Amino acid sequence: MQHIVKRAGHTEPYDEKKVYAAVYAACLSVREPSGSAELVADKVMTDVNTWIEKKHEVTANDIRRQGAKHLKAYNPDASHMLLNHRIVW
Amino acid sequence: MTYQTKHVPPKIADFDVIVIGTGSGGGVGAHMLNKDGKKVAVVEQETMGGECPNYGCIPTKALLQAAETLDTINSAENFGIKVSGKAEVDYPALKAWKDKAVWNTGTHAGEQSYKEDGVAVLRGHAHFIDPWTLSVKGKRYTAKRFLIASGTSDFVPPIPGLKETGYIGYREALEFEKPPKKLFIIGGGAIGCEFTEIFSTFGVDVHIAEATERLAGKEDSEIGDLIQALFERKGVHVHVDSKVVKVEKKGAQKVVHVDTNGKVTKITVDEIMLAAGKIANTDLGLENAGVEFSRRGIKVSREMQTTTEHIYAAGDVTGGYMFTHVANYESRIAAQNMFSTLKHHADYSAVPRCIFISPEVASVGLTEAELKEKGIEYQVGATSTGWLGRANTSQKDTGFVKILANKKGIILGASIVAPRAGEMIHELTLAIQWKMKASKIKYTIHAFPTWNQAIRSAAAKIDCK
Repeated sequence: MQHIVKRAGHTEPYDEKKVYAAVYAACLSVREPSGSAELVADKVMTDVNTWIEKKHEVTANDIRRQGAKHLKAYNPDASHMLLNHRIVW
Repeated sequence: MTYQTKHVPPKIADFDVIVIGTGSGGGVGAHMLNKDGKKVAVVEQETMGGECPNYGCIPTKALLQAAETLDTINSAENFGIKVSGKAEVDYPALKAWKDKAVWNTGTHAGEQSYKEDGVAVLRGHAHFIDPWTLSVKGKRYTAKRFLIASGTSDFVPPIPGLKETGYIGYREALEFEKPPKKLFIIGGGAIGCEFTEIFSTFGVDVHIAEATERLAGKEDSEIGDLIQALFERKGVHVHVDSKVVKVEKKGAQKVVHVDTNGKVTKITVDEIMLAAGKIANTDLGLENAGVEFSRRGIKVSREMQTTTEHIYAAGDVTGGYMFTHVANYESRIAAQNMFSTLKHHADYSAVPRCIFISPEVASVGLTEAELKEKGIEYQVGATSTGWLGRANTSQKDTGFVKILANKKGIILGASIVAPRAGEMIHELTLAIQWKMKASKIKYTIHAFPTWNQAIRSAAAKIDCK
């Protein structure tokens, strides 16, 4: 089980749904159609899942950076939003 | 579970130093610091000892030795030796020999050896949670200093169809028990050239493609040209100025589309091997520690310090010269500097670079291109090795020594192609390191008949003021 070290210092189990939700929200914030945002969020969530697979503990910022890195390939503006604005996490 | 969120040094750290990676860049520093009385831990997620003894220098040199032996047997008649029957490669036995050479390095006992020395061994992926805390397999460890020597991974070029078609890296190429009949190697640097030497000697039909205008493109042009000529003499298909633009599967075989100056050729092979470069292993949560890095590697000062004061880095992960001897050198500098006010600085003016093909290729210092770029006026002293007594007695007449010196005769760079170039280069490395004039070599007696006589001869052609 992977754990996320939160900004306040506590940890919580990794929840892929939060990644999905954050990416989806970032996409919508730059006016990506919701259907396409769902597809992108799903792909980015899979990429982040792969990245985190061999890690036991990472920070919330790590997840945000990884999400933005993978999102950049699909939607650079949404990636920028995800990286620089607190949308969900 | 709570943890310290303010990024201040821990009052009581678990270790004085945590070293990430047990290759040359990490291992050397870890041992030095341990001997110095520091409480040290090493983190390793793969094989102890890192790349060089397990997948790099040692196994490839073991296979190159086997290739040289085969060549020697095949040319035995030149020396009046009759060999009955044909010398053949026994791949399972060859692999066993390679494994034995790796075993002899002692890396299999690496973990035990560290523990016996009092160094803690932490197995797993290392991830910085903050500048002072590293998480390994979910457990957190603090330290006063860190040394990052996490090495590199294979760079996989974005070639359409490559991932779907499948390929091997040099690690898999070392494990062949039955070689492919036709092999396509992508990348004409040191690794690509050495594997070309190995497999072409063993009878594999090898294609090698290099995107720049010559093999070993970073070295002086004579080197790449000579390597190409030698490979072609052995039947290797050399594609320079060539890019692999597409790869596809055709039954059990693979089709490589090679673009050479706009003309695309399709080449069908049994296997594709990647030797297209390396990328630094920086997926360590470096952002959480404030350590700056790029695609090339971790940014370090000449003291091997990263952008975070108490974190050092050494070896391939810093993106400089990717050699075991350089990683070793940098690791020593990092270990020395960590707790000392007397800082040592890395000096890369005399780094020997070797390609262990036959004949060997070695160079040190600046190349002609670098001298031109820096605007340094230079002179060249060069000689072939064909006239040497040693060339006559060994029937190996291909090669040269080339020395580059400034107008005063101070040696700045050198290249050698000769059967023992990897050993010979150190005479010139010493000269460059200590800023010697070529005349010092000219007036030094060199034994007859040796390959190093060519160095004296080339040095004698340099005008010293």
